[in-house]
Amino acid sequence: MSTTVAAIEVSSLRKRFARTLALDGLNLSVDQGQVTGFLGPNGSGKSTTIRILLGLLRADGGNARLLGGDPWHDAVALHRRIAYVPGDVSLWPNLTGGQAIDIIARLHGGADKVKREELLERFQLDPTKKARSYSKGNRQKVALVSALATNAELLILDEPTSGLDPLMEEVFTECIQEIKAQGRSVLLSSHIFTEVEKLCDTITIIRDGRTVEAGRLNELRHLQRSVVAVSLDRDASVLVGTPGVNDLVVDGKHATFTVSEAELGAVLAALSAYSPHSLVSKPPSLEAIFLRHYSDPLQRPVSTRTAGI
Amino acid sequence: MSASPAAGDTASIPATNGVLTGFGLCVRLLLRRNWLRLLIWAVLLPLMIPVVYSSQQAAFPTQTARDSYSQVANTPAVAAMTGLPYSSGSLGGILVIKIWMTLAISLAFASIFLLTRNGRADEEAGRTELLRAQALGRYAYSLANYAVVGSLSVVTGLLIALFSLGEKLPTAGSFVMGGSVAGVGLVFVGIGALCGQLSSTSRGANSLGVGFLAVFYVIRAVADVRADGSRSSGLSWLSPIGWAQNMRAFGDNNWWPFLALLAFTVISCAVALRVETHRDLGMGLLAERPGPARASAFLTTHVGLVLRLQRTPLAAWIVGAVVAGLFFGGVATAMAGLLDPSTPWAKAFVGDSQNMLNSVLGIFGLFNALLAAAFAVQILTTARSQEAGGPLELELAGSVSRLRWFGGHVLVAAAGSAAMLLLGGWLTGASSGGVISGLTTAGASFAYWPAVLLMMGVFTFLYGFAPRHSVSIAWAIYGAFLILALFGRLFSLSEDAIRATPFGAVPRMPAEKFSLTPMLALTVVALVLGALGIWRFSTRDIESE
Repeated sequence: MSTTVAAIEVSSLRKRFARTLALDGLNLSVDQGQVTGFLGPNGSGKSTTIRILLGLLRADGGNARLLGGDPWHDAVALHRRIAYVPGDVSLWPNLTGGQAIDIIARLHGGADKVKREELLERFQLDPTKKARSYSKGNRQKVALVSALATNAELLILDEPTSGLDPLMEEVFTECIQEIKAQGRSVLLSSHIFTEVEKLCDTITIIRDGRTVEAGRLNELRHLQRSVVAVSLDRDASVLVGTPGVNDLVVDGKHATFTVSEAELGAVLAALSAYSPHSLVSKPPSLEAIFLRHYSDPLQRPVSTRTAGI
Repeated sequence: MSASPAAGDTASIPATNGVLTGFGLCVRLLLRRNWLRLLIWAVLLPLMIPVVYSSQQAAFPTQTARDSYSQVANTPAVAAMTGLPYSSGSLGGILVIKIWMTLAISLAFASIFLLTRNGRADEEAGRTELLRAQALGRYAYSLANYAVVGSLSVVTGLLIALFSLGEKLPTAGSFVMGGSVAGVGLVFVGIGALCGQLSSTSRGANSLGVGFLAVFYVIRAVADVRADGSRSSGLSWLSPIGWAQNMRAFGDNNWWPFLALLAFTVISCAVALRVETHRDLGMGLLAERPGPARASAFLTTHVGLVLRLQRTPLAAWIVGAVVAGLFFGGVATAMAGLLDPSTPWAKAFVGDSQNMLNSVLGIFGLFNALLAAAFAVQILTTARSQEAGGPLELELAGSVSRLRWFGGHVLVAAAGSAAMLLLGGWLTGASSGGVISGLTTAGASFAYWPAVLLMMGVFTFLYGFAPRHSVSIAWAIYGAFLILALFGRLFSLSEDAIRATPFGAVPRMPAEKFSLTPMLALTVVALVLGALGIWRFSTRDIESE
């Protein structure tokens, strides 16, 4: 397959609503066969981006390509090749869940009948109930079943598990792993770090309508400090002032601190002088990467974020 | 001291073993939640008495006029719609013909909807759970609901009696008038209470209640049509509305059917309370039926989906057009009778009988058109509600273009309104008893289709350019056009100004001659507005709420 065409390619995307600037030069790319996590605080522009990709909103500037096509002009043709799960699913109240699944799936090129039944079973959804009586979680299951039952090349999922219980989240994770194994692409907007860590090859973190972090998860980890916990043979306050040791917390002979990848060797050498009894090093979690962007009041450019302090 | 923590708010525990604890509190809560609705119903309905009375007094100023009216008042259409006329030679009797059924049915609707709003709807939304978790007697809330909604009937009935007395109508009749209307309201408090126990959804409870109302209305309509002279057939006793009619305000002035109405109310409320305390919270006696697990091939087509979603309103509007058409036809006959040149009143009222009949038929054509236009606008406005908070996003994220999506709504609105115009128009003629042919009236009514299309064009234009306000503006424009067409001449507006509005532009056939120009003009304007609106909708952002 000539997979030179990216599933999603967005650059310098801009969108202004009446008073607010929703997107201000956003970049996002999903390669064919990849699962990309799309993260950002509430109101940062994730859903706006997705709705531009679906041709529901029109971008004011920048470039957006979906499966090589224009998301606005080629909307109808492109939508046969994708599937979409909105964050807040609203259905036709007087139709049943099963009817809604068939209608939605039909609009995306049709459902695989066997897969549909299997998914209903796995998500434990009763398709004979009227949508009016469904809870938020069940409405979400309707959208998920219809999306997963299609053979879409690209799935666009906007916080698809926000109403699901942990067991159903697990089922969802399995389903996405199967889709990944089939070489299909997924854009997954989510707030659930463990889900993103488990499923995504790459992530894009946005804030205030701008991309602040993007890349492979492994690479992003390199840019973060690891958390190290040690027990020494003496009072751990000796570590104060050691070059490369940050955020030090001392509790008798125990200490925890963070250290960047570049300085790990030097720090380990310094530690060996205090003959440590135990040493546990944890790689930076996605949560740590993510929370920094959530809480950081400044919009610092990507390149300078590790240099300071 | 051990009881002190619980004694705080429940100082006045009644002797009924606590099943009514908190009744007063519930009444206050219900009054606070519903006072505006209660006030509007309780003021609006009795106010119709002086309004209708003065118009009838103007229409039939002398006893001679009333006597000639009484000879023609009893037509099948009048008997079926508003009840059997029995004392049509008196102003009180005419008042009953003109307004009694409207008051009774309105109060019945109010009772059903208010009772469900506070009862089943609250239970469905989980608010009842919140209340039941408090120190509240088992019967307190529901009984308070029955009492508050029931008191609306009592107050409305009393005000109707007082307003009637204010018009110097006979005392006994005035009170029977108020009592019979209140009795119907009370019966539907009982029916509403039962429906709230049967269904587990507020929609279901309301539909069941309205269903009962329809059945009881039809039973009494049949009874009134099959009357023997001025006595309804015995069938009338199978409907509580019939019981209330048999109180015969300003006629026999019977009070004993009122006792039956009261007994019906008390028994059904008691049964409802008993069922409520013996079932689980949130459940109804009728289980919600499961629906199909798969969509039919028709439903997955675009027009199929629009038709399925609009099935109920579509059916309701078509039935409305049929009822209106039959009614117009029946009244046209009565008009023809009225215009018998031998009655002096008819001579005094209109000079040329043929013209008068045709103008009446022309007005009926306009009524049909106003109904069809309201239907068409209503169908189109669902496009906006689906955009604002509905599943439009899911559909457009699929492979359907905006033109196709909106086009489905346009198709249903255009075809449905055409059917309503043709059907309502044809029935007007067909049920007129040979006064005029159905084909003529169907044509006259269908001539308004371009005006309906224009209203659709107006909404489509608004939907494209001002989606958030499109629904309210479209209805305001419809209302303005309606008033101009119906009452423009009363406001002494110039003929040209009225002709410039869509419903005024169409010639009122058969009174006026057919003319092609206004129809072409309406159609062109409709198409231009519609095309602009659809173009804008296809290029604008989807604006959800």
